[in-house]
Amino acid sequence: MRVLISGFGTVGQGFAEVMILRKDFFIERYGKEISIVCVMDSSTYVSNESGLSPNELLERKKTTGKVGTETYQDSLKVMDSVDYDLLIEVSPTDIKTGGVGLKNIRHALESGKDVITVNKGPLALKFCELVSLAKKNNCKFRFEGSVGGAMPIINLCRESLVGENISSMRGILNGTCNFILSKMDNGQSFEQALKEAQQMGYAETDPTNDIEGYDAACKVVILANSVFRKSVTFSDVNITGISSVTSEAIALAASHNMVIRLIGEVSDDKLEVAPRLIPKGHPLSITGTLNAAQVVTDLAGPITVSGRGAGRIETASAILSDLVSIMDDRKERGGKCRNQ
Amino acid sequence: MMVNAQLYVKDLPGHLVESLEPISLVNGNIVGVVHDREQIVNQRISIDVTFEIKGTSELEQLKAIWKSKDVLIAKMGSVYKTYTMEYMLVGKFTASFVESLIDEASVIVSFESIDVNYSSRNASSTRTAMISAEVMSENDLKKLDLFLMDACKKSGIVYIRGL
Repeated sequence: MRVLISGFGTVGQGFAEVMILRKDFFIERYGKEISIVCVMDSSTYVSNESGLSPNELLERKKTTGKVGTETYQDSLKVMDSVDYDLLIEVSPTDIKTGGVGLKNIRHALESGKDVITVNKGPLALKFCELVSLAKKNNCKFRFEGSVGGAMPIINLCRESLVGENISSMRGILNGTCNFILSKMDNGQSFEQALKEAQQMGYAETDPTNDIEGYDAACKVVILANSVFRKSVTFSDVNITGISSVTSEAIALAASHNMVIRLIGEVSDDKLEVAPRLIPKGHPLSITGTLNAAQVVTDLAGPITVSGRGAGRIETASAILSDLVSIMDDRKERGGKCRNQ
Repeated sequence: MMVNAQLYVKDLPGHLVESLEPISLVNGNIVGVVHDREQIVNQRISIDVTFEIKGTSELEQLKAIWKSKDVLIAKMGSVYKTYTMEYMLVGKFTASFVESLIDEASVIVSFESIDVNYSSRNASSTRTAMISAEVMSENDLKKLDLFLMDACKKSGIVYIRGL
């Protein structure tokens, strides 16, 4: 399997680390290791058809701030110059236009390459188009890490719960908001909690995407399209963030034995991100940066999963799961795999 | 349907069980029984029983069996399942605004009970209200949710509801 990695920030580097950690696993399972043939960051790239050393990639990024030795202007030209089987698209998310990630995913699928991504922008904006493109070109297109990081939710619903009728799904899909609201439970103001989240690296300098619910809304769109087979985009989600949640509201909720959490919800008649009142002790009343989701099914009843919603290795673990699935499928079929 | 009945049975050993067995005979499901030995009338004791039963024909069948077994039916009525939900409003509003909101809502929704709590006033002009509503159907919950969501949106009030 020849892999091209687009994006070598936190998640891209995490994936390289996981490739080092799981080298023996791939050799044992498939008789060979994964060959990273090209890596691009925002301005440079490096390629070698014989395979690149993940250790060297990480070292160069650490010492020079760049992954590659060559600069580029057009990522598509770089992609065309390399012979690869699978694109791992982990460039920064752009929820307004889809950014370079959307361009790269489209190009890879049009070229008949399998794609794994954790990039929410392209999925929230052009999900149906990308899935159709994958089907048309007989490619695998997987995106487990785009929702909930290490928390397995998409593949759980699409594979483990494939025979169930899923009536609704509700979850904490943004760890930053959950961290802030958990801190407010302990008496901090919204501003203090946000500042602490920024100091700890959970929130960005401009926290708008998190606190206004846009990041969670992207995930709601991905879940609605991938699990509920809807055809919706970001603009279809009814979004309320947490910036208006006051300390008074938190205290009044606590006096009724409840907490406030930002919940994303998908059902037949709902597509929403909003702060909700959750009874203490409910599976969705979790604290800290954890993500959690509750899936309501007709046969199995409610199923709850939780896990780390972000993080270098955690998100890379979701990519690993998608990669293994694609490789297993190829192994079973002895070559090119079918689409989802 | 869920039914609640107050029965009077002879205060003799075995008569309590004998009065409950017919519910199973008509495929009913006993949800709760209160056996009140302090309420003895004409040497009969009171039994308050709540049970699920398929329909009115089964209920009529049950009543006939009770009659044949000399079980007196003092009271019988349907028991409704109620649905509760909490709603929180955060913003600049007065208590009379919330009251009028509830008055308007009661036109479209049948409330079983409603309770409002407010946060204590502080220096800021915003306040928080917590409404606990108990309604008769899931459909009423949906209607109430849509009504409050719309009203809060129009008034620039943050609306937070329960799960």
